[in-house]
Amino acid sequence: MKTKCIHNDLIFYLDNELSVEKRTAVEKHIEECADCRSFLAFLQDGMQIIEKEKNPEVTPFFYTRLSARLDEKQVYQTQSQWSRLAQPAFFSLVLLAGIYGGLKLGSNASSPEVNQPATTSIQMLNDFAAEPIESFLLDEL
Amino acid sequence: MDEAKLIEGIQQGDRKSFQILVETYQRMVVNTCLGIVHSKDDAEDLAQDVFMEIFRTAENFRGDAKLSTWLYRIATNRSLNHIRNNKRKRFFQSIEETFTGGRNRPSEISENRADQPDQNITDQQRSDLLHRAIDRLPEKQRIAFTLNKYEELPYQQIAEIMEISLASVESLIHRAKKNLQEQLLDCYKKKCV
Repeated sequence: MKTKCIHNDLIFYLDNELSVEKRTAVEKHIEECADCRSFLAFLQDGMQIIEKEKNPEVTPFFYTRLSARLDEKQVYQTQSQWSRLAQPAFFSLVLLAGIYGGLKLGSNASSPEVNQPATTSIQMLNDFAAEPIESFLLDEL
Repeated sequence: MDEAKLIEGIQQGDRKSFQILVETYQRMVVNTCLGIVHSKDDAEDLAQDVFMEIFRTAENFRGDAKLSTWLYRIATNRSLNHIRNNKRKRFFQSIEETFTGGRNRPSEISENRADQPDQNITDQQRSDLLHRAIDRLPEKQRIAFTLNKYEELPYQQIAEIMEISLASVESLIHRAKKNLQEQLLDCYKKKCV
């Protein structure tokens, strides 16, 4: 009589995690059942992949690479600390220069020396002083 | 040099202590990352990140747990983050491919396997199958299984690393093995290798 397949116990059988009675029963079943025997071999091949690939040889320059990365990071951190301080200082200076320049221009614009020539030129263009409107209209007639 | 002195040295920025720590634990960290990401190059890059983090945050290490426990925690967290980022990238790539009609997709399989003999192809297929099965495990099962299988850690140490009870570790590893077995059985029935 063919017994039921025991696929579900096979991974635990491989890892030696079954009780003595169950282990004996599994071994007995495997002898009789070709399908379970075949699946056990399949499972064993699969799990052996782990054994083959674990504990790989680490690159000999692992620490050298790591050390270079650390140096790089430290240089970058020092640079970024400087740039953190320098950038706001630079922008503050530009802002102050802008404000100072604006104030200076404003004060120059309102000073009498600047206004004087403009007034003069306006006066020169004022023809009403030289020729009153009445005489201008009479000339037209 | 014992662990406490090593950490003290690193906390003071001593590169020699750091070098000793790296050389002592590099194999362990790379192997742990490899168990989760399944690529040696990625595992080494992640291990570098782990040690960079150790150097940067050494002052936070109070010595409550073993140094190796701390390293395992950082290594597993970094590896899981790497997988999550890759998933995100693949998602956006698949969207891009939808619009570009898959023109940018590299033909990885043909490139990797072009010159390999049949036996190696079967090994590679088996390896891919196992990796896919491990990747489908829920994160906690995957960590517990990887630490147990790749690093051969006892359940008690895994419990300390994952900050869970011993019974939970037993349960996680049991379920991980069952899930793996189901996936491999499914593949065995479909004769996919």
